Amino acid sequence: MELKICHLYPDVLNLYGDRGNVICMESRLKWRGIDVSTASVSVGEPLRAADYDLFFIGGGQDFEQVVLLEDLKGAKTEEIRSAVRDGKTFLAICGGYQMLGSYYKTWDGQQCDYIGAVDLYTIGVRQRMIGNYMFTCDELGGLKVVGFENHSGKTYLGAGVKPVGRVLAGSGNNGEDHQEGARYNNVFATYSHGCLLPKNPVLCDHILRTALAAKYGSAELMPLDDTLENNAHDYMVNRLSKA
Amino acid sequence: MIGMKLKVWISVLSCKLCRFAIRLLGRGGTDFPGRVALKLCPDLLGYLAKDVTTILVTGTNGKTTTSRMVEQALTDSGISFFANKSGANLLSGVTAEFAMHSSLGGKCRYPYALIEADEAAFKAISSYVNARVVVVTNVFRDQLDRYGEVTHTLENLKIGISHCADATICINADDSLTRSIADGIENHVVFYGVDIPIYRDRVAELSDAPYCIKCKHEYVYDYVTYGHLGGYRCPVCGYSRPTPSVSVTSVFSTDTERSHVSIAVDGREFDTTVNLPGGYNIYNACAAMACGKALGLDPAVVSRSLSEFSCGFGRMEKFQINGTSLRMILIKNPAGCNQVLNFLTNTTEPSVFAVCLNDRAQDGKDVSWIWDVDFERVAAMGDRLTELLVSGVRADDMAMRFKYAGVPAEKIRVIRDYGKLVEACIAQDRPVYIMPTYTAMLGLREKISKTYGFKDFWE
Repeated sequence: MELKICHLYPDVLNLYGDRGNVICMESRLKWRGIDVSTASVSVGEPLRAADYDLFFIGGGQDFEQVVLLEDLKGAKTEEIRSAVRDGKTFLAICGGYQMLGSYYKTWDGQQCDYIGAVDLYTIGVRQRMIGNYMFTCDELGGLKVVGFENHSGKTYLGAGVKPVGRVLAGSGNNGEDHQEGARYNNVFATYSHGCLLPKNPVLCDHILRTALAAKYGSAELMPLDDTLENNAHDYMVNRLSKA
Repeated sequence: MIGMKLKVWISVLSCKLCRFAIRLLGRGGTDFPGRVALKLCPDLLGYLAKDVTTILVTGTNGKTTTSRMVEQALTDSGISFFANKSGANLLSGVTAEFAMHSSLGGKCRYPYALIEADEAAFKAISSYVNARVVVVTNVFRDQLDRYGEVTHTLENLKIGISHCADATICINADDSLTRSIADGIENHVVFYGVDIPIYRDRVAELSDAPYCIKCKHEYVYDYVTYGHLGGYRCPVCGYSRPTPSVSVTSVFSTDTERSHVSIAVDGREFDTTVNLPGGYNIYNACAAMACGKALGLDPAVVSRSLSEFSCGFGRMEKFQINGTSLRMILIKNPAGCNQVLNFLTNTTEPSVFAVCLNDRAQDGKDVSWIWDVDFERVAAMGDRLTELLVSGVRADDMAMRFKYAGVPAEKIRVIRDYGKLVEACIAQDRPVYIMPTYTAMLGLREKISKTYGFKDFWE
């Protein structure tokens, strides 16, 4: 088996240790003897979505995100939209999450149109939502996911889009409806960086399994020794449960 | 309505009493006395600093070390000054330092002050003091939960500099972000920089500024020193590295104790030994030479000072305990930590590393930055790294990071207790490099000074 990962804009969308998620996915595949290759596609480089099984999009600084909005227009937007429609697996975080939606409206009313691959939109507010936080992953039986959020956008989901889960501590999508993240087809989107996957190995494996199943029909992943991962996970769960 | 003089008298007295009480308790207390004084008299710093010629050092990385270098240069040049040595670099801490060095009437006992200013607090501090020279070291992404994005830090620095109409501004020419501060200001500017690459072999690191700050086109680099620093130019709008008047022209040698370089000041070369290892300290030395030029000091004297200065606490600070050599190197953000690794992974003698990760406000609450550091380099050291000790509030995250970096599990040992960690370090029969985040550094240093009789950090 082999998984081909596409890391979109790694030099621009790399704000919060995002490459840790890619390192984590690569390692957990290699440790199981599954081949993996990661290609970077950045500004000015063409994207052929059919070449890949799993797409990763991180978050960036506002200054650099403006650079890539120009690049995203046209061909890349079409490629990403059809990849989402065709059931390719995506993990999108923070800015990447917002970018899959329809638009971002700044607090003073300026609207940036985004990819529009998933029915959601984001409204900027002046007060940032920052801190360690925790939410459930509903499709994994309410598994507790821990991470760090740092965003000034409030994201709202359309009718056909489900959240990843319910916020247990922190703000989540918008600090209002207690929802966190977005699930649509094989898209996983979340505000959780800090770094999401290493500390949540069950979620990481679930995303890898989704991508492998989409490619090969079904996929079993052999268990790994996750002592260090679980220590880091449980430490934050305990700390946030006490708060 | 009480008069200003009485208000100052009460505030300075309260500040001194608070500091005295805290020191009696055996603690640092570098910030709290200042907060008390500011409560009583919000513009106290303006009053205390009005007749003091002040040198401000700010920027993301290198503030403390650059300040220690300038400190030595001032001493060697016979200038009477005080400095905020304890690292209290917010408005409250700086106010407290001025109060401690003033009479109760608010008259400072020194004509000069050397002040390291936190980059977010700089604009407040600079609005009160009478700055003669401002040194800006660099701007890197740092603790995003606290400082926000780099452009935000840069804006704050620009506002701060607008308060310093009479100051000469020393600017790192190699940093495309910092360099933009020079545009549109009337101040006299001294650019400094490094004319050549400093590392033969660098860690893989992200650039914090790949796109032109003026026109958003990708930069072209003639050479990179580290991070986004080097000889950049924008092929579209022409924004580029200016020619510095103070620059490092050659690096003759570097080892685990010092670097030997040549620094040119207005075309005159000064053979200089920098009394600390690491390429980033070559930058700090260059910044100190630029500061000396701005102050009109003799460059030969400043050059000699660089070979004699002693480093700030926790900045490559060396402890020799029971025959084991420990060096403590503060880590706080990806760029700084990558430079530490550039130095450490190029050492040849086998050694032990200890990394201590906390997530309190001063460390940055968000620990995700450890994934932007090229710790894979540590794994690639092989037998040159004999053991890796991990500690701190977020020891589990750190241990996991090393696992994914490829360090064999049997080399990683988690020791949560600082006392036990220090004991484990001293028990080694090879050099130990301890890399703590800020509050971990204070904790470890306290442990070492209490147990083994070293100076406390505020001394």
